[in-house]
Amino acid sequence: MKAKVAFFDFACCEGCQLQIANIGEALLDVLDKIDVVEFREVMSEKSGGDYDVAVIEGSITTKHAIERIKEIRSIAKVLITIGACASIGGVNGMKNNFELPEIKKYVYGEDEKYFDSVPTMAVDQVVKVDYYVHGCPMYVPEFVTVLKHALMGLPYKAPEKSVCTECKLNENECLFDRGLTCMGPVTRAGCNSWCVNNGNICYGCRGMLDDPAKTGQIEILKKHDIPLEWVTNKFNMYNKAKDVKENENE
Amino acid sequence: MENLVILKKEDLNDFVMQIARTKKVVAPVRKGVKSFAFEEVTSGARIDLDYTSTILPPKKYFLPQKETIIEYDKRKKEWTPTLYSEEIVLFGVHTCDLFGIQCLDIIFSENPKDFNYILRKNRILIIGLECSNYCDENASCALMDNQNPNGGYDLFFTEIDDRFIIHVNTYHGEKLINKTGLCTKADKRDVSELRLLKERKRNVFKNEVDIPYAELKPLFVNAMKSKVWDEIGEKCVSCGNCTNVCPTCYCFDIIDDINLDLNTGTRTRVWDSCQNGSFAEVAGGENFREDRGERQRHRLNRKFNYPVSKFRRYFCTGCGRCTRACVAGIDLKETINALIEEKKGNENG
Ligand code: SF4
Ligand code: SF4
Ligand code: SF4
Ligand code: SF4
Ligand code: SF4
Repeated sequence: MKAKVAFFDFACCEGCQLQIANIGEALLDVLDKIDVVEFREVMSEKSGGDYDVAVIEGSITTKHAIERIKEIRSIAKVLITIGACASIGGVNGMKNNFELPEIKKYVYGEDEKYFDSVPTMAVDQVVKVDYYVHGCPMYVPEFVTVLKHALMGLPYKAPEKSVCTECKLNENECLFDRGLTCMGPVTRAGCNSWCVNNGNICYGCRGMLDDPAKTGQIEILKKHDIPLEWVTNKFNMYNKAKDVKENENE
Repeated sequence: MENLVILKKEDLNDFVMQIARTKKVVAPVRKGVKSFAFEEVTSGARIDLDYTSTILPPKKYFLPQKETIIEYDKRKKEWTPTLYSEEIVLFGVHTCDLFGIQCLDIIFSENPKDFNYILRKNRILIIGLECSNYCDENASCALMDNQNPNGGYDLFFTEIDDRFIIHVNTYHGEKLINKTGLCTKADKRDVSELRLLKERKRNVFKNEVDIPYAELKPLFVNAMKSKVWDEIGEKCVSCGNCTNVCPTCYCFDIIDDINLDLNTGTRTRVWDSCQNGSFAEVAGGENFREDRGERQRHRLNRKFNYPVSKFRRYFCTGCGRCTRACVAGIDLKETINALIEEKKGNENG
């Protein structure tokens, strides 16, 4: 029996689903193993019912979304979040830098009162998540790995080490040596240092390490004359949602 | 003189092109703005003879960053060991890195032998290159006594004026020289110029740290409780750069992966680092080296203390890479100096 897999999107750009549609040939191998029952990007057909695997994209930003994700969780055996929005809150979390009524007014103007909005949350701030695929957009090889683990019922944990570890294995010239500031040392690995391989800095899209060595990081910034706020701003870009306390939105 | 031959510098390009016709040649080339890396070359054009140090040491050819060691098929219950190796001529290895390769040889030849390493190594011909000056201020090769060649190569190039004086050290090296037909025998003048260079080097390369070679091990043995580790631990961000770039770090992790058919798959070995928080974590969640300072202490004891007891040699080559690669600016020579200062302080008070 093939596993029934459903894809759902919440507040996001749907870029991660696009990544899946772009997997190409490997997608055919995946489709050999699973029955996709709901997937807006590549299929139009919809079917209700129980799912073996629910794949969630996007962060939770409305009361309606809270209800919807709870419902999905109740009928899904396994739940996977894909991309920074679903896994850590992502860029939508930037909204939490402002007072909610204030930012609502800014975005919706006069019609503000007709819109349902709550501070941005990652999926695991509302329901239990079994597997995470990090990144903005998510890193496709990690999605395939996670899917395989999910189908076999094995646990998967993103590496708890820095992007630098992968960057050095790829023998990139360190961007600090070029006078740039890179978030690699405090960002969770697993993307094979994707951006640095392509000549960009790591801007921390996979989220901060659980134990990111704050004092050391501040020393590094001092050494390179970089203001602390500059970095906190960068990290806020992806990590701000995690400031919301549990149940705060219910 | 027997084993010395001469290659004109203008013939280096031909030399490399000839070899590259039948073998893969890797050599130091510029990478990025101020870095270098060993990469495949087909002529002498890209080779940078004045390179300082490469980002990764040549160990990546002996122990690749990622290597498939087993392919399996669950349904057929088949496990097939795999070995990837190729014939390589490794050109331009500095003396510190020659020493690093010798360290890896010792580790992987111990029982149980690592056949993947040994078989791969047997197909790599090593050509050394002498440093007549320091690569940069991070080096400590004179402290480790690695500024001069001490074996571990097939051919060794010393650049003097318009030529290379080449020491032919092995049968394979000799075969390569004969095949290119570009070299001539060295004469008395070459030998005396080589001697002059060695003399000049004695004035250039001086122990970079204020401690004799033999005292290094006791320094580390007695510094297990040093405050220096706490200070370093405050700065270190555990990025793992210092171990990945180290020519004598060889720790690896084993990863099993399954293909999408959920039946066949591979087992790979990838470089690991004792600086990663989870490195010394065991089942049940106990972590033997939770503290960053402890992890740095461990790293340096694996260079200056434990291997001396086990193999009677230091496992630091003095290449300076750990200092160059540390994003937090932790400097090996400064660390050793801090330990020396602390020791003096303890003795005096
Ligand atoms: S470029 Fe960034 S990720 Fe790579 S080693 Fe330097 S700090 Fe780390
Ligand atoms: S290098 Fe950094 S920003 Fe780029 S994908 Fe990886 S974690 Fe994200
Ligand atoms: S550390 Fe010494 S031997 Fe090594 S490259 Fe620098 S100068 Fe040469
Ligand atoms: S410890 Fe540092 S200086 Fe010594 S061999 Fe390793 S990288 Fe080179
Ligand atoms: S390179 Fe520096 S910051 Fe990174 S693990 Fe090593 S000592 Fe720590």
